[in-house]
Amino acid sequence: MTQQNRLTSGGRIDRSKPLTFTYNGKQYKGFQGDTLASAMLANGINVVARSFKYSRPRGIVACGAEEPNAVLQLGATEATQVPNVRATQQELFDGLVSASTNGWPSVDTDVMGLMGKVGGDMMPPGFYYKTFMFPQSMWHTYEAVIRKAAGLGRAPRESDPDRYDSINQHCDVMIVGAGPAGLAAALTAARGGARVIIADEQNEFGGSLLNGKETLDGKPAAEWVRAVVEELSTYEDVLMLPRSTVNGYHDHNFLTIHERRTDHLADIAPVNQVRQRMHRVRAKWVVLATGAHERPLVYANNDVPGCMLSGAVSAYINRYGVVPGTELVVMTTNDYGYQAALDWADAGRKVVAIVDTREAAVGDRTEAARKRGLNIISGSAVIEVQGSKRVSGVSVAALSASGSKVIGSVTKLKADTVASSGGWSPVIHLSCHTGSRPVWNDEIVGFLPGDTVQKQLTAGGINGQYETAVALREGFDAGQKALAEVGLAAAEVVLPQAQMLKVAAPMSLFHIPHLKPTSQAPKQFVDYQTDVTAAGIEIACREGFEAIEHVKRYTAMGFGTDQGKLGNINGMAVAAKALNQSIPETGTTVFRPNYTPIAFGAIAGSHSGALFEPKRFTAMHKWHVEHGAEFEDVGQWKRPWYFPKAGETMQQTLNRECLAVRNSVGILDASTLGKIDVQGKDAREFLGRVYTNAWAKLAVGKCRYGLMCGEDGMVFDDGVTACLGENHFVMTTTTGGAARVYEWLEIYHQTEWPELEVYFNTVTDHWSTATITGPNSRKLLAELTDADVSNENFSYMDWKQITVAGVPARVFRISFTGELSFEINVQANYGMHVWEKLHEAGAKYGLTPYGTETMHILRAEKGFIIAGQDTDGSVHPFDLGMGWCVSNQKPFSYIGKRGMSRSDCTRENRKQMVGLKTKDPKQVIPEGSQAVLDPNGPVPMPIEGHITSSYWSENLGHSIAMGFIKGGLDKMGETVYYPLANGTVIEAEICSPIFFDPKGERQNV
Amino acid sequence: MSDLNVMTPEESAATKAAVMDQVPGPEIQGQSPLHHAELESLAKQGPKTGGVHLRELKLLGHLTLRCNPANGDQLAAVERVLGVALPLQPLTSTENGGYSIRWMSPDEWLILVPGLETFEIEAKFRDEMPGHYSLVNSSGGSTVLELSGDNVLEVLKKSTPVDLHPKEFPVGKVVSTLFAKSTATIRRSGEQRYELVIRRSFSDYIWLWLQDASREFGLVIDA
Repeated sequence: MTQQNRLTSGGRIDRSKPLTFTYNGKQYKGFQGDTLASAMLANGINVVARSFKYSRPRGIVACGAEEPNAVLQLGATEATQVPNVRATQQELFDGLVSASTNGWPSVDTDVMGLMGKVGGDMMPPGFYYKTFMFPQSMWHTYEAVIRKAAGLGRAPRESDPDRYDSINQHCDVMIVGAGPAGLAAALTAARGGARVIIADEQNEFGGSLLNGKETLDGKPAAEWVRAVVEELSTYEDVLMLPRSTVNGYHDHNFLTIHERRTDHLADIAPVNQVRQRMHRVRAKWVVLATGAHERPLVYANNDVPGCMLSGAVSAYINRYGVVPGTELVVMTTNDYGYQAALDWADAGRKVVAIVDTREAAVGDRTEAARKRGLNIISGSAVIEVQGSKRVSGVSVAALSASGSKVIGSVTKLKADTVASSGGWSPVIHLSCHTGSRPVWNDEIVGFLPGDTVQKQLTAGGINGQYETAVALREGFDAGQKALAEVGLAAAEVVLPQAQMLKVAAPMSLFHIPHLKPTSQAPKQFVDYQTDVTAAGIEIACREGFEAIEHVKRYTAMGFGTDQGKLGNINGMAVAAKALNQSIPETGTTVFRPNYTPIAFGAIAGSHSGALFEPKRFTAMHKWHVEHGAEFEDVGQWKRPWYFPKAGETMQQTLNRECLAVRNSVGILDASTLGKIDVQGKDAREFLGRVYTNAWAKLAVGKCRYGLMCGEDGMVFDDGVTACLGENHFVMTTTTGGAARVYEWLEIYHQTEWPELEVYFNTVTDHWSTATITGPNSRKLLAELTDADVSNENFSYMDWKQITVAGVPARVFRISFTGELSFEINVQANYGMHVWEKLHEAGAKYGLTPYGTETMHILRAEKGFIIAGQDTDGSVHPFDLGMGWCVSNQKPFSYIGKRGMSRSDCTRENRKQMVGLKTKDPKQVIPEGSQAVLDPNGPVPMPIEGHITSSYWSENLGHSIAMGFIKGGLDKMGETVYYPLANGTVIEAEICSPIFFDPKGERQNV
Repeated sequence: MSDLNVMTPEESAATKAAVMDQVPGPEIQGQSPLHHAELESLAKQGPKTGGVHLRELKLLGHLTLRCNPANGDQLAAVERVLGVALPLQPLTSTENGGYSIRWMSPDEWLILVPGLETFEIEAKFRDEMPGHYSLVNSSGGSTVLELSGDNVLEVLKKSTPVDLHPKEFPVGKVVSTLFAKSTATIRRSGEQRYELVIRRSFSDYIWLWLQDASREFGLVIDA
């Protein structure tokens, strides 16, 4: 294919480096330095999309982030599909594969077109609200239809092969935008010795200076840009980020920058390279030098391909060597629009007319056009465009002085391109992100950044200053101000001389009138991406939506992926006119992050796959993996859940593990239990205040179980604490509660009882804990130690410092299974050694590793609670039948004492923990099942309680369950029913939760 | 226990804390938190050049001291035991040969010593320190990773929000902070060298994280 619109010289492209790309299955050529959009225009591609609602053909309108139509799907393979790419921002690379996202089977021959046109007429604004929301039950059906008909691309169905990450940055000055203002600010701040980050969304720095023929110091502006970039690169403390969009400006001068590191190179990033990176910047000062977007004018059929922004036309000619058409009509309300005609003429193509809505305007640019002999039609406008897939002609007519109506006769001109300029809209998006409301300015006919609480400066186009000389000066001033604010001396910078052109006043005009009323005129588009027309906004206003936020939601204006960068202000102007009020009275919508769409990959960064969430491992984890453990997530810990042997079902495994513990000996990795070292002369007193039970008399060498309650008297954690020395204890907590308990202790110590001499340290990771439990556990332990571990010398609830398998250990004789048990704690570096030695010696006893599930069953057989499973923050110790663990003899109060004595906590008929034994011993009540007294009663049934723990007990040959029943402790032997979701009912008898060894003899042997 | 190097009952009673030598004899090899990563063999077989170097300083003695920085007697006792003063300035560290002390919080310090000296130093502390304090051996609960190389700063910047610019983070500075989704105590130990004290249970996660973060620069494992 030829590049029929490519100029033979000029532009910032490298004609010696041709690149091949694919669009909708056809191959085209472009050059190094092209964007996808410029290459498409060079090849004369007119239609790049079908519109969302009306399925109208759409072409490229803009040259940057504001582009509403050329939103394409990229990707050569399924895995590398990227939706939502603006062709105007995608650099061309060899082999790039792109496709349009709307229009089926293709944008050129659109079968949906006819349907779409019919549908479009059936879809006035507010259509979703009026039609699709009711009946609500049908919404899913409607949604599927809408999504298929609309949508801007699709996610890949395969995993993204690329890598993404994020990086934290800090600087004195963050400069957003590397046009003349941003570069001047960066140069100033850098020379002053500040830590500077300057980011720009384009592939090279220079901004507007790259798009025109402007000179600085009499030389092409690009030369000054190159010199500045070269100088900036010599400073160690300056970070330059091209291809990096500052997408979010958050509180406290925190900014997020989306850097595209390899998107310009290939479909997939080079090996080991990161495709996109999110910079998380904390800046002392921020300089917004974001420039301005040109505003299109709203006129009939203004969406026909060939209708463009005048600045974009200039940029394509000057930067990319592409003239996007042959015969140009310019329509402008200001001097800047003339530039497109001048550039077009320079490129040797025909300027049909410059249609200026102003009656008489004299500025340097208008005079240049006049001198060139270009056809200037004053006081007039393009009121309508002809053509379907490309502009074929325009209708021009004279306007009234205010621009509110057509007064003259209509002249038709032949043209294929319309460049319109309604003036400039400062890019205030980032300044809005932090909550600052923009302020309307009549002089520049646009919104300016409002007051802010951020340490923020602005320079150049964002301030409505569009002349390069002023932008440079403002950038310089911002750089100096930032230097002063961060305590650095002023920098020496001589700004280059820029031409100062005389500019005539712009006309405040947004919506070009038509001969017919707006509602009957051909469609005049305000927001291309969401197909919102001037007529649609007028309808919204007529229907009573007066607030601009309501108009926005009613019409969907600004809801596209472009956030209405081109359309919003025109939409406000149309609404203001319809409501007969001014734009400031109408107000504005504000912008939220992100400025442009970001790939999910870049947001997730490295936090995906194996790095999605930390996995915490014990010192014996490798053994568990090698021995086939299935794992359960307990907080971030990976704990062995059960250890299946080949061919076993989970229940068979659990049965085997449970029997092994009760009949011989089992082993559990209990290392994940939280462990807190407590030292100080008041340690004992402190324990007495945070636990409900007494600690005053616990002797050195002894252990005690404790319950911990919140201020409300509700149980929140439990565990065994051992007295290691007179002033030294080690507390254990639940696995999931460790961090919370540690903080709890620190908070109470630091804020309530700082006078107590006690220090806490977390030692969870320091100790590895192997629990051996079962009748043969003593024999096993004895084989690995010289110490006397007899019942006489080492009794239940004692702890001893002994050597186990050659390793110094603290062994606690405590039991969570009701069996004879020893919890062997060694420094974690030696945990695996001891674990393996236990297995070697334990083989003859059939030592059986078991996991959390068997642990749960065994403790439930004993009626031991698990805080967090059998408690839910609404049960106090007495509800659990654990009043024995509450001491009211303590001289000082304890946390929860008062809460527990509230009237609601002492009333009759609270839910109390009981055991439940099913009538059919084989039935296991699902956990969470609700108890009722009469399963045949009317629905809703009064609920008597619920099941918290329920298992099959192989030891007992029947199911066991723990749960709450209202007043349950006084209802032993009574029957309750558990209706299940499948319609069946399980009958159960209320009993003691201690199903096994009720006298507790086995742990004492 | 005869085979244990424990304090006498009198000594223990005097300190009212239980102190034990937790390290077995030399016939039993400890397994550091990254034992399973087999860093030694990676050091031998892996790449020899790259922008980031990683080394595990394993099986050191980690002692957490909590005491009162306003208590001059305690400060003097620390100096008698370690030959170096506690760093009282927040976010700083001090060192004396194989001993280093990291400021952790206004009343907390992490003392790193050669692994085999841990108990001896702990016992000395128990002899020397007056007043209310706590000393906890946490050697099994953490390990130290040393990161160095031309790109070490970039890897750290990917991992932690702390400002590591040389002006803000001079040699010797210490912070305990977020590291990816875990935590680390970061100390700058040289121009392009940093030490991370990380928790045992998170060490595999951080190891995976560091491999990922350094991939574009090339990771060299040092023995």
